[in-house]
Amino acid sequence: MTTDTLQAAVPLRYTAPDPGAEGVPVLLVHGFGSDFELNWVRTGWTRALADLPVAGCDLRGHGGSGKPHDAASYTPGALVGDLVALLDALGTEQCDVVGYSLGARLAWELALAHPARVRRAVLAGFGPRDAFAGADLDDLESDDSAFGQVYRAASRLPGADPAALAACARGQAAHPFRSAPAPESVPMLLMAGERDDLATGMEDLARETGAAALRAPGRDHRTAVAAQGLKKAAAEFLTAQAAVPRG
Amino acid sequence: MSPAATGRTGAEAPAPPATMREALNRALDEALAEDPATLVFGEDVGRLGGVFRVTDGLQQRYGEHRVFDTPLAEAAIAGMAVGLAMNGWRPVPELQFDGFAYPALDQIVNQIARMNYRSRGRAPMPVTVRVPSFGGIRAPEHHGESLEAVFAHVPGLKVAAPSDAPDAYRMLLQSIRSDDPVVFLEPKARYWDRGPGPSGPEAPGPEAPGELPVGASRVVRSGRHATLVAWGAMVHRCLRAAELAAEDGVDLEVVDLRWLKPIDAAGLAESVRRTRRAVVVHEAPLTAGLGGEVSALITEGAFSRLAAPVQRVAGFDVPYPAGPLEPQYLPTLDRILSAVQRTFGA
Amino acid sequence: MTHPEETTFHLPDLGEGLVEATVLEWLVRPGDRVERNGPLVEVETTKSAAEIPSPHAGVVARLHAEEGETVAVGAPLVTFEVAAQDAAGIVGTVPTEEAPRRRVRLRPPEDE
Repeated sequence: MTTDTLQAAVPLRYTAPDPGAEGVPVLLVHGFGSDFELNWVRTGWTRALADLPVAGCDLRGHGGSGKPHDAASYTPGALVGDLVALLDALGTEQCDVVGYSLGARLAWELALAHPARVRRAVLAGFGPRDAFAGADLDDLESDDSAFGQVYRAASRLPGADPAALAACARGQAAHPFRSAPAPESVPMLLMAGERDDLATGMEDLARETGAAALRAPGRDHRTAVAAQGLKKAAAEFLTAQAAVPRG
Repeated sequence: MSPAATGRTGAEAPAPPATMREALNRALDEALAEDPATLVFGEDVGRLGGVFRVTDGLQQRYGEHRVFDTPLAEAAIAGMAVGLAMNGWRPVPELQFDGFAYPALDQIVNQIARMNYRSRGRAPMPVTVRVPSFGGIRAPEHHGESLEAVFAHVPGLKVAAPSDAPDAYRMLLQSIRSDDPVVFLEPKARYWDRGPGPSGPEAPGPEAPGELPVGASRVVRSGRHATLVAWGAMVHRCLRAAELAAEDGVDLEVVDLRWLKPIDAAGLAESVRRTRRAVVVHEAPLTAGLGGEVSALITEGAFSRLAAPVQRVAGFDVPYPAGPLEPQYLPTLDRILSAVQRTFGA
Repeated sequence: MTHPEETTFHLPDLGEGLVEATVLEWLVRPGDRVERNGPLVEVETTKSAAEIPSPHAGVVARLHAEEGETVAVGAPLVTFEVAAQDAAGIVGTVPTEEAPRRRVRLRPPEDE
């Protein structure tokens, strides 16, 4: 893997597969307040997927990418636009996409808006429930909701830009997730920690979409990201020979 | 640590002699045991036990307050030794590699070497700065330097460079027990070697004291036709050269200088007055190397007996080369033998 | 030369000023053979979850913490049995003793 920056209106720091790596590239999309390194490298995902060509980026507002402070820059459409720009820059016609939390929502949106670019999708740490429920997005510093706590933990990480993260939250919240329409032709695997509150309703979403669903015993939203069982299941799902049967 | 250093082998199998790094480890162990003021510190010397395992196990035995890791900051390591020594400690810092001793020179030259003078003896510096030194292990740049002339030129410092395991053990203990600062140059290339050179005297193991005074050289092979003078890993090479010379009927004496400051001028003169010829061999570049000083001392002490000018065989006047070129840079047996032949007038 | 030797891996500094981590799940058991960089243990800090890879190839001898237990940075995590290489250290190679080679031949001095 090599790391570089895609120069655009909002610069995007990305990781590209090694040249000559064979197979369908796997696009890893990290969660809110995280980045590629924290979400995928330190958790062992890139090790678990070492046999596959792996790509990914720091989402705008995160890590080493540009960090605008206006909510309009963080609509799901804008973030998915970055992912498509990255695929274009890498010359990747079609990818498998793996997302965690916010990244899973973006994987869904990518598959919905650009079905030809996505072969299979793994949505981890994600459910149809509104992640921002009860959150006061204009005063996240003192917000007591589940999301408020996530925001504060993320905004205290080194290199975090709290204003950009708050703008990102507002941009996302302005476009709540809807489970219909669902991506039509993309086999999906849903996975989350057993005690992941943000993945409430995941099984319902799986039933609606005909996706497979998997829970990691004992894990919550924060700890499931490193769970070995989920990494292995994702690797198996992505490397399965035939088209994965739906439902 | 090997059984050789711990002495816990079965009665039926005598332990092999300790390697130099085991002998040094043993000396540090004893120094820490005998004086609670002794402290060992440097890069990776604690938890890791040193990149060459010289400090292996010491932190476990003496705790992380007496054997501890430092940041990669040689000036700070040497500077810390100054403050500790002023407060009654007996520091034994390690500068992990010779090439990285340069950042510590300010503290060593301007503080450690002078403090005793500056304070009129009220702040002695019982500091032993260990420096894994010289070439021979094909290491990258900055990991194979010979700084002995730099240190020997500084008033107030003593400089040691042992050549074999038993002597390294004795000299390190002697250095640590000394109330004067000593720069202790350990020949990396000999770390894995057990005991004295192939033709050296039957040297006692680390248990036997057999101690020579600070500043004393020793004759490690007696001969009558010429004296080879060396220190560190070059002593071993000179012993090899002497073996080859013996095949030609030439009988070479080899003097292990051991202490590079003070230098044993009397010992050198005694040997060369007998053999009438001398070749000094070192790894450091020729120009302004310690070979010039040794040559001058021999000339002053044995001029009337010298049959030929003192010869020097040294590294070339180039920056220390990359690993693959080491064999071409370091004094070869042929270069040593050619220098001997020059003293024979042919 | 190689011989088996035990080496203990301590919880590394996980950055961000973290001083401890909680063991989520061991990915190895005593007796397991592990490769260098193979998955070893999942840990949780106050900031994130992470997988720690094995720094050595070898056999797991002992685990020093239970799942759910909090471990301080620098505390023993796992002990391996590894094949110790008598290596030089972080740089360089152990010199080998070669048979001396020479081209120069000596003639003893004539004045003896």
